[in-house]
This record gives sequence, C-alpha cells and structure tokens, in this order.
Amino acid sequence: MEYAISLRNITKLYGGLRAVDNFSLDVRSETIFGLLGPNGAGKTTLIKILTTLMHPTSGSASVEGYSILTDDKAVRRLIGVVPQENNLDRYLTARENLALHARMHGIRSRDYNPRIDELLELFGLSGRQHDFPDTFSGGMQRRLVVARALIHNPRVLFLDEPTAGLDPQSRRVLWEHIQSLRSTMTIFLTTHYMDEAEELCERIVIMDHGTTLVDGTAEELKERFAHSHLYELEFRANSDRYEGVLRAFSFIESFERRGNVFRLVLPAEEFLKPLMDGIGSADIKRICLEEPSLEDVFIGLTGKKIRE
Amino acid sequence: MFRGAFTIWGRDMRVFRRSLFSELLAVIAYPLTLYMAFGVGLKGYISDVEGVSYSLFIAPGLISMTAVIAAFEENAWSMWFHRKVQRTIEEYRVNPITVYDIVIGKIVSGFFQGAIKGLAVAVVILLLTPFRFSLGHFFVYLYFIGFGSMVFSCAGTICGTVIDKPENIGRIQGVVIVPLIFLSGIFFPLSSYPATVLPFVKILPTTAIFEGARLSLLRGIMDVRYSLILLVTAAVAFVLAVWIFNRKIEE
Repeated sequence: MEYAISLRNITKLYGGLRAVDNFSLDVRSETIFGLLGPNGAGKTTLIKILTTLMHPTSGSASVEGYSILTDDKAVRRLIGVVPQENNLDRYLTARENLALHARMHGIRSRDYNPRIDELLELFGLSGRQHDFPDTFSGGMQRRLVVARALIHNPRVLFLDEPTAGLDPQSRRVLWEHIQSLRSTMTIFLTTHYMDEAEELCERIVIMDHGTTLVDGTAEELKERFAHSHLYELEFRANSDRYEGVLRAFSFIESFERRGNVFRLVLPAEEFLKPLMDGIGSADIKRICLEEPSLEDVFIGLTGKKIRE
Repeated sequence: MFRGAFTIWGRDMRVFRRSLFSELLAVIAYPLTLYMAFGVGLKGYISDVEGVSYSLFIAPGLISMTAVIAAFEENAWSMWFHRKVQRTIEEYRVNPITVYDIVIGKIVSGFFQGAIKGLAVAVVILLLTPFRFSLGHFFVYLYFIGFGSMVFSCAGTICGTVIDKPENIGRIQGVVIVPLIFLSGIFFPLSSYPATVLPFVKILPTTAIFEGARLSLLRGIMDVRYSLILLVTAAVAFVLAVWIFNRKIEE
C-alpha cells in the first residue's frame, strides 16, 4: 500500500473553536513522518482522530486502508500509540503492563512472552521487569510506553511528543530506538522539538491553527525559508535601547534577542536599508546573513516562539 | 467476544489479589463494629424484631451492605482513577476492544470484589457470633447479594465516569448512597415507617436488596416483588452505565 495514512478534509470543532480545519494529508508507508506545530496547533487532536479516540466533525481518514469511522476496530489492531502523557498502569509491573496490552490484542501467552522478553531486552528494561513503573525514571517509563506500543508488531506507530520532558541523554536513547524502527513500520510523530524532527523525520508538515503551513523534508523547508532574509545583528552597547527601536519597525517579520545578539527576519533585501538608517552604525559590532535552521522556519511561519 | 472485558477483569482481580489481606481487613472492620455495637450492645434492650433476635435481624443487611458499598467504591474510584489520574482508559481504547468491553469488565470487577468482601464479612460473623443460616437459604440470598452488587457496581461506574473531582464522589456516597442504604431497613423493620411512606420505601432498589436479602437468608423466602425490582434496576443501571460511559468517552 502506497499510503499508510490518509486524511481528507478533516475538521474538528470544540464548540466554537476550530481545532483542525479542513486538513488533508497522505503519509507514505514505512516512512517517519513528523507533524510540527506549537501547542494548540491541532496535532494531538489529529492523532486522537487517527487513533480512533475521537470522531472528526467532518471529513474522513483511513489507516492502512481501514476507515477510522467505520472500521475503527481494524484500525486499532494495526496501530501502536505512544501518548503525550505516560499512561502506564502503576499497579502492574513493567512486564504485566506489556502482558495486559498483548492480551487486549488477543495474543496468547506462549506468543507474547518471548516478544516481551525481546522488547524488554531491546529497551534496556529486562533487569527492572518485575518492578512497578512508579519506581522508574521518566526516560525508563517512556521506553516502557514505546515497548508496550510495539508488543503486537503494529504497522503504524503514533508517537505524540515522545521525548517531551526527558533529559538530553534519554532523548538520544529514545531517538535511537525510533531510528531502529525505520523502514519496518510507518511512524507518525508529533513534536515541537525541531532537532528531533530534523534528526528523525523524512517528511515534515508544520501546522498551526488546524491547517498546514508547509510540507517537505527538513532541507526543503530550510531552503524555502532561505529567501526570507534572516539576519543576525550584534551590538556593542545600548542593546535595550536598540530593542525598542527594532520593535518599532513594522516590516520585521520575527524577532528574537539573546543578550546583545538579535535575530531578525526581513521580508526582502530592500528592507535592510531602512533598518540600517533607523539604527545607525555607531553601536553595531556585527551584522550577517544567517542560514535558517528548522526552528527559524517554525518561528517564521508560526510567528512566535514555541508555545509551552 | 468480551476478550477485552475478561482481560480488564483479570487485571483488576490481579491487583485485588495483591492487596487482599489489607482490603479484607479494612472492609471487615466497619460492619463488624456495627454488628458488635448494635447486635451485641443492644441485645439486652431489644429482645427480638419480627420474631427474630436483633443480632440475627441485622446480620444479612450488614453482609449485603458491605458487598454493595464495596462494589460502589471499587468502581467509582477505580473508574475515576483510570480515567483522570492514570489515564489507562485511554490506553484500553487504542486496543482492538470496544467500550462495552471496558465498562463490562469494570462492572464485573466491582461485582466480584463486592461479593468477595460481603462473603468475607459473612464468614467472620459466622465465626465470631452465634449467627447461623441454612445452606439452602444462602443460595437464594446469593441472588440478592449478586444483583445488589451489580446495581451498585453500575452506580459506581456512572459516578466514576461523570464526576471529575474526587471529593464529589465522597459527597455522593455521603449524601445519596449511605442514606439510601441506612433507610432501607438494615437496622430497623420497615413496619416502623408511617403507612403513607411505606409504599415508596418498598419500591426503592435498596429496600429490595436489604429486605430481599433478609427474607431469603433468615426464612428462605424468594420475594418475587423485591427480586423483580432488583432485576429491573440492575438491567436499567447496566444500560445506563454503558450509555453514559460511551457518551462521556466520546467527549
């Protein structure tokens, strides 16, 4: 099957709020797809719709050819889900958590026990299999949730902000596990960590306010944004005063300050002259044209920093 | 068919088994105290009620009360905890099972735990007191303890599904459940009620549970009216619990 996931004109309304707005998307089989967006962009709503936890207000979607509306049980048989928050059963041991999930999928104990051994080994949890999840670190709990989602060999794995709240080491370990699944299943990942998307995803969609803003590989998105004229400007002194001056320019598309260094996005090259006329050259230490990062693309498109 | 319900029930029983001793100790203490305080303490003041000794009169009700309160508490708190704190309901729902599996699994868990705790109280009362009943009566009594636990298990499921703040579960228990139980004649005969009120009291499902339980355990009588009220209430409560859970989850 060419596409593992297809969404057609999906809209989801919460009362008057349009969380997802006429959203369409196709995700190729056995690829890692990243959905980026600030908090409230509609990412989790889309995952909930695709994992059959929620019905869309209108539109249709399918996973591996099965409709989420009419074949929801068939969809759930084929998917693994790692939710945003760990939802492990704290009254069951790590091993029992995995076994419970396997039984829900109708797998017999003689089949799931070797699979559990294999996954516990793979995720470095064998030594703690008889412990309760409450005694685990955040990274270990997260690995256990991912292991649980893989028990039944899903064809599509949904990861909703899988590394949120983890320390850098735990994030790296989880990335390695996700990388190891590449080409074995379709992975649909939401994140607002740009480095994570860049590291893992073959294709990225950035969305906000329920709609798609851009779609492409990380390189394509950066290339597309390269025309947006990202400048880095450093002052020797009086940075606070210059911040006020810069904020007054309505043509500056986005603006970020780190100490004496300012990163600005201008709509076109010709706006550089009015900018320089406005701030003068007395306190300027350095000005240079920057290569945009994926984060610059994100901030440039959503017009703000990541909403926490 | 019902694989999910069976799995969820198995999970709940495994967790229950782990804390069986402390659970039973806690659950036995309260009715046993009531039995000692009223049944033994007041024995000298109340000779008999409707032809039986007072300690014998209150025993079936105390056993049933333990069972139904345990069924209610298990399901109300468990459903709330799995939905709001642990979020395991969401994990269940991304598996190839139905919402019916989840709600049936939970109701059956509540029913079993209620029945086990009720029986534990019965055993302790039998061991520590002269209270005795015939085995034949006991099988009739199982109907009332079974359906009574089912009704309260469904009521607990509904509360755990619709109530978001835990303190409100405690309030429902204090304001609705306990008064309904205590006013259904556990500690006094229904004939104490004024004649105008009595018909209304007699159609309460809690009255059907406790009066039906007493008549069956002490006299071996299967009261048709009470058994029908209980059966209909259990059916309605079950349909309501499934429907409400389904609706709430959709939100």
